[in-house]
Amino acid sequence: MTVAAEPHHWRVPPRWVLLVAVLSIACAEVAGASMARFKVELTRWARDAMLARPAVHGLVGVRDVDERILDEALVKFDAGLRLYHMHAEGMGLVIIATTMVAATVARAGVARRVIIALLTTGGAGYPVGYLVWSALIPAYGLERAKTIAEWLVWIPFGSATIVALWWLTGLIALRMIRP
Amino acid sequence: MTRVMLTLLAILLAAPAAAHHVGAYVPKDNAVTINFKQVKFSVQARKFDVALRLFETGALRAEMRAHAATLPAGLEDGTRAALAASDGPEVERRLMIFFAALARDLALEADRRLAEAGGTAESRAATGRKFLEAIWRYYNLVDFAVATRDNKTSVAIRLAFDEAETYVKPATGAAAPADPARLRPPLQRIAQVLSALIEVTPTQARRDS
Repeated sequence: MTVAAEPHHWRVPPRWVLLVAVLSIACAEVAGASMARFKVELTRWARDAMLARPAVHGLVGVRDVDERILDEALVKFDAGLRLYHMHAEGMGLVIIATTMVAATVARAGVARRVIIALLTTGGAGYPVGYLVWSALIPAYGLERAKTIAEWLVWIPFGSATIVALWWLTGLIALRMIRP
Repeated sequence: MTRVMLTLLAILLAAPAAAHHVGAYVPKDNAVTINFKQVKFSVQARKFDVALRLFETGALRAEMRAHAATLPAGLEDGTRAALAASDGPEVERRLMIFFAALARDLALEADRRLAEAGGTAESRAATGRKFLEAIWRYYNLVDFAVATRDNKTSVAIRLAFDEAETYVKPATGAAAPADPARLRPPLQRIAQVLSALIEVTPTQARRDS
C-alpha cells in the first residue's frame, strides 16, 4: 500500500515578523548576560531605591522585620529579570513557529494578517511585562508594580497571543474538515 | 449577534492572560537563625568543639553582644561556658532565653508602634503582620525547648499569637477586615509571658503534661 504524501509548502512569515522574533531572542540573551554580569550592581540599586521609599515597601525601621521585606522584594526583582530572559527567548521561537503555521494554513487576507500581527506583537510584548514589573518593584512595591505590569503589558499582550492562538487552532480544525 | 458572541468568546479565551507566573518566595533564614541551627545540630551530634567554634565566630554571639542591654547578665559567657563544658541542656536553655528575648523585644516594639497615632487600618495591620512574622520566626526556633520546660508558657504564647493573627488578616470574602487596634493586648501578653520565661527559667527540663 502506498500513501501519497500530502505536499507541504511551508510559507515563511513576513520579514518584519522574523526580525521581531529574532530581536526578542537577542534581547533575552543580552538581558541574561547582563543579569549575571551586573547582579551585584542591580541588587544594590534596587535595595537603595527601596530603602529610599520605606513607606512604599512597609519598612518599619526594625532590622528583624525589614530584612524579610527587602529579601522578598529583591528575590522578586531578580525573578522578574530571569522570567523576562526565559520568556523572551521562548516567545521568540513561539512567534516564528506559530506565524509560520498561520502563514501556511490561513488563506491570504485580513484573517491571516491579523493573526500574524497578534501573534507577533503579543509574543514580543508579553515578556517585556516581566522587565517592567522588575523595574517598577523598587519604586512602587511588589503588588502595585505587578498591577501596573498586568494592565500595561501582561493582560493586553497575553490576551492578543491567546486569542490569536485559538483563532489559529480553529482555522487548522476548519482546514481538516474542509481542506 | 455573531460579532458579540465572537467578542465574548475572545474575552473568555483570553481570560487566562490575567494569570501569570511571577515566581514564589520562600523566606530564608537570616545569619542569626542559620548560626543557631549550626550550633544546635552540632550540640545534638555532641560535637561541642565544633559548636563552640561556630558560636564564637558566628552571628549568634555578635547578636547577643548587640542585644546585651536587654538580655540577662552573663548570657553570652554562660553559653560559651556550657559549650566548653559539653553541657547540651544548658546550651539549649541559654539559646532559648536568647531567642525568647529577641521575640519579646519585637513584641514590645510592635506594641509601641501600634500605640502611635497615624496611618490607615490597613497599613497598621500590615505593620502588625510583619512584626508577628518576625516574632514567630524567632520564637518558633525555641518553642520545643520552651514546651519541654514549661508547656503552659508555650501554650500561652501560641494562643496569644493565634489571636493576634486574626486581627491582622486581610479581609477576604465574608471575613471581617483587619482590626489592628485589637492587636495590642495579645502582643502585650506575648511580651509579658516571654519576660516571665526569661526571668524564671528552670534549668531542669520539666513536663507538665
